[in-house]
Amino acid sequence: MCTAHREYFDSMPCYLTVQDRDFKIIDANREFTEKFGEHEGRYCYQVYKQRPEKCEDCPVERTFRDGRRHKSEELVTTLNGRDVWVIVYTTPIKNEKGEITAVMEMSTDITDIKLLHQALRDSQSKYMQLFEKVPCFISIQDRDLRITEANRMHREAFGTAYGKKCFEVYKHRSKECQPCIVKQTFNDGEIRVHEEVVTKENGERMNVLVHTAPLRNDAGEIDKVIEMSTDITQIRQLQDKLTSVGLLIGSISHGIKGLLNGLDGGIYLVNSGLKKDNRDRIDQGWEIAIRNVDRIRSMVMDILYYAKDRDPNWEPIEAVDFIRDICSNFTEKANKLGIACSCDAQYGAGEFEADRMMVRSMLVNLVENSIDACRVDSKKDDHRVSVELEGTPESVIFRIADTGIGMDRETREKAFSLFFSSKGAGGTGLGLFIAHKIVKSHGGSIKIESEEGQGSTFTVELPRVKPAVLEKVEDKKLCPGGADNGQEDSDS
Amino acid sequence: MAKKILIVDDEPDMVTLLTTLLEDNGYETVSAYNGIEGMEKVQSDNPDLITLDITMDKETGIKMYRKLCQAGSQIPVIMVTGISDALGTFLGRYKDTTEPAGYFEKPIDNEALLAKIKELIG
Repeated sequence: MCTAHREYFDSMPCYLTVQDRDFKIIDANREFTEKFGEHEGRYCYQVYKQRPEKCEDCPVERTFRDGRRHKSEELVTTLNGRDVWVIVYTTPIKNEKGEITAVMEMSTDITDIKLLHQALRDSQSKYMQLFEKVPCFISIQDRDLRITEANRMHREAFGTAYGKKCFEVYKHRSKECQPCIVKQTFNDGEIRVHEEVVTKENGERMNVLVHTAPLRNDAGEIDKVIEMSTDITQIRQLQDKLTSVGLLIGSISHGIKGLLNGLDGGIYLVNSGLKKDNRDRIDQGWEIAIRNVDRIRSMVMDILYYAKDRDPNWEPIEAVDFIRDICSNFTEKANKLGIACSCDAQYGAGEFEADRMMVRSMLVNLVENSIDACRVDSKKDDHRVSVELEGTPESVIFRIADTGIGMDRETREKAFSLFFSSKGAGGTGLGLFIAHKIVKSHGGSIKIESEEGQGSTFTVELPRVKPAVLEKVEDKKLCPGGADNGQEDSDS
Repeated sequence: MAKKILIVDDEPDMVTLLTTLLEDNGYETVSAYNGIEGMEKVQSDNPDLITLDITMDKETGIKMYRKLCQAGSQIPVIMVTGISDALGTFLGRYKDTTEPAGYFEKPIDNEALLAKIKELIG
């Protein structure tokens, strides 16, 4: 090697060695010598790796074999014991005849790059873990609203298949939603928030708060949108409950005002009767007072029942005795108001399974309603409330009919809605709502037939045995006239 | 001659109370259970004053009151109601309706009601 070449060879900013077929180092540059020491009489594997024999996969060996250049990545150790990652290139050195006499090996220190790579991989895996494990539903969508990536919660809840469209996965819809905040974010790059109701793979409905944010490529263009949904079902349920508690308080205050008015009236009549020594007036006032106290009692029971959402306590009940007992409590009360009362229980109607307290309070409520409907009816002279019991092989049927004021269509349709009352100041709008809830909790049905001015008939059908699957009755029907409070409610 | 008061309310207990209260205090009374019946009694009995409930099925008190205003009736009307909304404002939305002569929320303060009636018709 001439002096100039020697100089170039020595000053190359990498480790250069020339090795013979035994991997013995026959020459090396300055950089090598500084880091790995003198090479005289030493072998590549000894110097670089402190091994007693050659490495299993050796690029120098490969170059000797096929005369071509080879590349590999190795971890080597310097004189002072520092580990260094190098990228190794080998090239053959040939004589005039073209025979390979030696191989030149060039190793470049890539430790810094290697460390950077490692850090990058670590942070990528951290982000991946974050993406996967974050407790909300994350998806990444393209401009066609196709889901290109989704985290574990998303995949588990929605059975997400990549390439499927967002609205298919979330809402089982065939068209995109209006408005679509993912589209909006694609258009203007703004972060958006929206509340949605979505359906999980198992059919469960879930209220979610959805956030969208743009994902930009290197050129700064929005290339994907990330959508993050948080389950807020519990918060919504709580809100619904709170709203209904608010409504309940309003409704109760209203009802109490009405009842106080009735009590005031009764007391006034009693006082006036005492002053004038008018026995009839005293009796009349006392009746009114007693009736209003009764109403306060049943109102308090309703409120308690509403506040305590319990499952039925099932027990076998002998239907005929049960209904006769209820009727006997009303006959006198009704007769005093000039209302005839009848109880027609089919002999041998048999037993049924139910919560005695709940079904009793439901039927009492219905009978009280019937008596009330007659009491306030000034159009007819004769009024009648009749209670019937009928047994079928699968169910028991209670029919409570009256000849009172009846209901128009609107009242009939809203009858089971929470806080709907046709009684003005006299009602809380709880009674029939709870009656409906009790029937549902027993897997039964309740329906109304009614005509304004003619009277109403309530038919309650309860299964004889506790049904295997019972629908959970939600308190969602908050507003009077809520969506599905039809007068016929035999769905189950 | 005793002044005649028409009581319109769909709640029989309320009618009983008002009838007794007013008769005890020297008034003559007639009663009706809804707005339609009420209008009939206005015609047939020519009352000096009307107490009118608002929430009644059939015809509400508001509807009956508007009818009275439209007919140019001069009979003072006292609204008696369980609804605690600002009723005057509500009725004020109608051009052809003036505010009622009196307005009482249930439960009624008997003495205040009697005082108001005395002020209106003596």
